[in-house]
Amino acid sequence: MAAEQVIRAQDLRKMFGKRAALDGLSLSVSQGQLYGLAGPNGAGKTTLIRTLCGLLRPDEGEANLLGWKMPSTRVRSQLGYMPQDFAVYDDLSVMQNLEFFGQLYSLRRAQVRERANELLDLVELTDRKRDRVGTFSGGMRRRVSLAISLLHKPRLAFLDEPTAGVDPKLRRSFWDYFNALAEQGVTLLVTTHLVEEAQRCHVVGFLMAGRLLTEGAPDEILAQTNTTNLDDAFIVLQEQGQVKS
Amino acid sequence: MTSLAVARNVLRRILRDGRTVALIVILPLFFVLIYGNSFSGSYSNLRIAIVNEDNGLASVRTMEVGRITLTVDLAAAFVDALDPTVFDIVILDDAEEALALVGEGVWAALVFPKSFSNAVVSEAVRSSGERKVEFEGSSVTILPSEPVAGPLTQLVIDDSNPLVAGAVLAAFNAAFATVLETQQSSVTAESLLDVRRLYEGEIRMLDFTAPGIIGFAMTLITVMLTAMAVVRERTGGTLTRILIAPVSAWQVTLGYTLAFSLIAIFQAAELFLVSLWLFDIRFIGDPGAVILVIVLFAIGLQGIATLISTLAKNEAQAMQFVLFMLIPSIMLSGVFWPLETMPGTMRALSYAIPLTYANAALRKIMLTGHGLGALTFELSILGAIAFVTLFLSVLSMRRQAYTA
Repeated sequence: MAAEQVIRAQDLRKMFGKRAALDGLSLSVSQGQLYGLAGPNGAGKTTLIRTLCGLLRPDEGEANLLGWKMPSTRVRSQLGYMPQDFAVYDDLSVMQNLEFFGQLYSLRRAQVRERANELLDLVELTDRKRDRVGTFSGGMRRRVSLAISLLHKPRLAFLDEPTAGVDPKLRRSFWDYFNALAEQGVTLLVTTHLVEEAQRCHVVGFLMAGRLLTEGAPDEILAQTNTTNLDDAFIVLQEQGQVKS
Repeated sequence: MTSLAVARNVLRRILRDGRTVALIVILPLFFVLIYGNSFSGSYSNLRIAIVNEDNGLASVRTMEVGRITLTVDLAAAFVDALDPTVFDIVILDDAEEALALVGEGVWAALVFPKSFSNAVVSEAVRSSGERKVEFEGSSVTILPSEPVAGPLTQLVIDDSNPLVAGAVLAAFNAAFATVLETQQSSVTAESLLDVRRLYEGEIRMLDFTAPGIIGFAMTLITVMLTAMAVVRERTGGTLTRILIAPVSAWQVTLGYTLAFSLIAIFQAAELFLVSLWLFDIRFIGDPGAVILVIVLFAIGLQGIATLISTLAKNEAQAMQFVLFMLIPSIMLSGVFWPLETMPGTMRALSYAIPLTYANAALRKIMLTGHGLGALTFELSILGAIAFVTLFLSVLSMRRQAYTA
């Protein structure tokens, strides 16, 4: 039996002025899949995530999440969203941030504490959980943001550049964790401008100027482009101007 | 050179922000136009009630023909001497009814006694000596007589607004002076009047302005805090994060309203207590009624601030938009000068400002001791503003989250 299509987007087009941020983009992601959306800055990754989440209305096309046409309020409790900006309260401590967002998802205090322990271990902020977020570096704030996004155990998580500004060792932990979540049935769509990072995903989509250059398992893309790493593959595809049919 | 480069960079960034440029140009003009147009210094439409029981006759003794009766109609002459552009005069027959209207939209009631004309003329002749007048085609000499003891003209005045009360009294004195001048009388207007002020104790200018100043302080702090907080929430991305969670814009807006209403109540309590303690401001009404006014007012202010935050791209712009609200609030809401002194267009604008109603309600409670029953109009308007702005701010919250 085929896995459930958790994300289904058809012919999405979004214009900002005369520039097409999404140019007729279609996308399907199955349950439990870790989908890596790679591409350079300005490729349309954030616009795609915001459109899928219902934060932007597409000019054309439609998006379905968990079987609901977006924008829909019905899927909100099952969505995790980590925006590219930090979107955390600098004047609150890490725990206060987690407690507040936990309350928005109707988590009890004990549940927040339990989840916070797990997630703060992951993002290596357990020792700093009482500190105000405003005293943190950019990378540390991003780690707080990631913890908030996954606090309520979403079925579907959109993580916009979760590893930006994070050191290599911790990045590796993050990708391990994302894979573990996927094994538990969580669907993740993760963007990165570090194309090579997408190697850790089940499926990779290369985005360029609002269009998917290609999509597939990392090994398939390497074979298709006759390259040994995804950075080279991306450059080859970019030069070929090959667009996913 | 470095300073010049910094200055050029600052100016270039400001000039690239169209809204800020517009605010820089428009705000001073707005300020001057509001100020220039709001304070005309002259009053209009002051409603007064007059009961004229004066028979208009004066009985005098003459050298030539003994006692005669002159028709002088001095009370009517007084009414004619009042400036119709200043006063909206209601002529009534019943003195009790007229006196009861004072404080209910009528600033003053005057009751001329039956022998008003007689008393004024005899007093004038007594004080100024013999005089000649025309009587039935002949010139006769009026002789001084003993003063006629007659009741004084009753004047009841609403002194809740010392500026208006002062202006009414001054206008009445001027009208009396005009009438007395025709009788070549040296008596003063004051000697003809039995003045009763509606409220006990003196209402000082400080007492009169305190409710408005407290309301203005609330406006300043609540609007600024709310607008800044919403803009910061939006630009920081947390508003989007909140509204992508399973919560409605209503819940978020109500959360904001609750928080800022509590702050507003705390601020108001602080303002009231300090004003009472240090300046002994007049407060003779029900504190519960004050709290109700403040809560409705604060909800409206919070709603307006959220709407302002929709217009602002950043906190600096929010500050400038807040000023657009604050300037008319302080100048057009009757805090310092009464609405009655404002030209028609400005007065119409003042009715669109929440502080106008909060100020009026607080004055009624604090200065004149009115209860909730007398505040129906002000509370209804404040309630309507609170409801409408709350509804609009929900829409605004949703829009801001989705356009951040």
